[in-house]
Amino acid sequence: MPKPSLTTLSRGEALEIHSRALDLLSRVGVRFEDPEVAKILLDAGATRVDDRVLIPEEIVSEALRNTPKKIDFYDRDGKRVATLGDNALIFNPGSAAIKILDYGATEPRTPTLEDLRNLIVVVENLEFIDAQSTALVPGDTPIEIRDAVRLYPILRYSRKPVITGAFTVENLSVMLEMLKVVREDAWKRPFTIFDACPSPPLSWSRVTSRNVIDLAKAGVPSEIVSMPGLGATAPVTIVGAATLHHAEVLSGVVLAQVVSRGAPVIYGGSPALMHPRYGTPLIVAPESLLVSLIYRDLARFLELPSHTYMGLSDSKLVDYQAGAEEAYSALVAALAGFDVISGPGMLEFESVQSLEKLVLDNEVCGLVKRILRGFGMSVEEIALEVIEETVLKRGGNFLPHPHTRRYLRREVHVPRVWDATPRSRWSVRSVYDEAHAIVTKLLEEGPSHELSPDVLTELNRVYEKLWKRAGSEPKYV
Amino acid sequence: MLVEDLKRGLYSAVIEGDSEKALGYARELLNTGLDVKQVITDVLAPAMRVVGDMYERGEYFIADLIASAEAFKQVFDNILKPRLTSSTISKGVVAVFGTVRGDIHELGKNIAKALFEAEGFEVIDLGVDVSPERFAEVVESRKARIVGLSALMTTTMIEQEKVIEELKRRGLRESVIVIVGGAPVTEDWVRKIGADMCGDDAFKALKKVKELLGAV
Repeated sequence: MPKPSLTTLSRGEALEIHSRALDLLSRVGVRFEDPEVAKILLDAGATRVDDRVLIPEEIVSEALRNTPKKIDFYDRDGKRVATLGDNALIFNPGSAAIKILDYGATEPRTPTLEDLRNLIVVVENLEFIDAQSTALVPGDTPIEIRDAVRLYPILRYSRKPVITGAFTVENLSVMLEMLKVVREDAWKRPFTIFDACPSPPLSWSRVTSRNVIDLAKAGVPSEIVSMPGLGATAPVTIVGAATLHHAEVLSGVVLAQVVSRGAPVIYGGSPALMHPRYGTPLIVAPESLLVSLIYRDLARFLELPSHTYMGLSDSKLVDYQAGAEEAYSALVAALAGFDVISGPGMLEFESVQSLEKLVLDNEVCGLVKRILRGFGMSVEEIALEVIEETVLKRGGNFLPHPHTRRYLRREVHVPRVWDATPRSRWSVRSVYDEAHAIVTKLLEEGPSHELSPDVLTELNRVYEKLWKRAGSEPKYV
Repeated sequence: MLVEDLKRGLYSAVIEGDSEKALGYARELLNTGLDVKQVITDVLAPAMRVVGDMYERGEYFIADLIASAEAFKQVFDNILKPRLTSSTISKGVVAVFGTVRGDIHELGKNIAKALFEAEGFEVIDLGVDVSPERFAEVVESRKARIVGLSALMTTTMIEQEKVIEELKRRGLRESVIVIVGGAPVTEDWVRKIGADMCGDDAFKALKKVKELLGAV
């Protein structure tokens, strides 16, 4: 079946960037905030110069040999949903927004745990958004457990797989425990991916490097999300930023493999152009997308599953810019064959989520998936006989021909919210208003895939423990 | 080279953000016997104003601003500052400078800061987007005698008045000299909001501050 696709680098170009990144790792090296983490790499054969760990090529090559090329990915209830490494195209809401934009508002506000639950209920019903994410950082929960509490409403109300992450070393183990009570083999048949971000240029914080280690030990997939800021924390040149990005991701892959050979790791990223006038981090700038396209091909060159932050917008409102940025970045990411695409719902430099935008982005994801599905080339589909018959005997009208009905549903994707009505049937509402009506309806209907009561009791036990540690009574939503 | 040519050279070098060239011209300018203060008022301050304007018009980016600010700093620190004589009157006197809330322009504030430091004042730089409460807090805790409020936009100028109100509310207004600066600030505005002086010409402001301190 022919399918559209997009490659950017030739094999030779990929090899050149890869070699330069290896050069960076062996000569400039990486700084680890945590000396114990640095020691793990030093014990594995890296060397130290000042506060930097120089990683020789042999260690990187060995790590790459040991990294799984494919990862089977499941939902909460144990059903396999995709294989990462096979252009899985898993759209999920852009994660960890610190604000939510209400319908009609121009100023976003701090979200609550209740808002996160509502977002989860909406996403659960959006067909083309394949996974949940810990999309909002709830401001009404104790700061020291704000990463882990986000997992609770997802596990409780959604069957979809989850893209998440920890902000602390300590809470990661609680999050893993929550997964385990939900499904005993949650680590062996994973339904979660944890993001871990290096700090550009070429350094790792204590928390994120520890997360990589703990995830590797547990065998839970981690996503190394490098975030070069073009013109600020990385070179302003596209290939320079991509080379730095590549070196950072490789350092994360090495760390995971040194700790636990064969640990599942995804090659991720969230490049951003620092706006030359305002200093704002533009995720959807053409330059940022080009960096993602480059590292997508580097991941392909190394046969690693891949992730990006696309299918989102830097706009402040759900407006023309939001729709345009969403659509072209989602399509470009899908054409490039990313396995995991984080972004839907997001606005304003990865800081704001909107429920209405999620509904609209779901439309974009559906359209993108349709384009990516391509088309069949069977004799029946080429339809020579149908054309001949219709032209010569049926007056040129294909509508009543049985072939049309036979293929219509298979071939044609009909968007739900996009306006395609004739003016006579038009509701005189914008798609933004339509999206709000859908959000309202979904929230009225409430959750549909709640966790079974006995498992919920177990989950509540771990959840309660988490809150007690923060000295509070648990907040249930 | 004639003095005028050297001035033009320094002016362009600062605008272009070429530190090395700027240092060369500045050195030669002082060799001609030109006064340090004139180098600042006639050349550096106008050059930085142009840089600010170019940024506002979208011709200059942050990277350009940084290069120009660096050229200014290099010339000031290496060539001008060593020749400025600090007065005894400024010794141990704390001056608090900042750009008011809602405003992130700091070129003007930084020029004033450099001059006051060179004069021997202890300058506390609060940076940009500073709230009235923060200004007042630091004035109070550090027992500042001078506070400089910079605002580049007419929309943020109003914040200067709010700082003065906050100082009054805490009973600090009488113990501190208030300088308001920035492109839209006029003598009328200074009178209207009850500030002490306009900082459009940093040297004039400096002179007046010293007079006031001497008089106290």
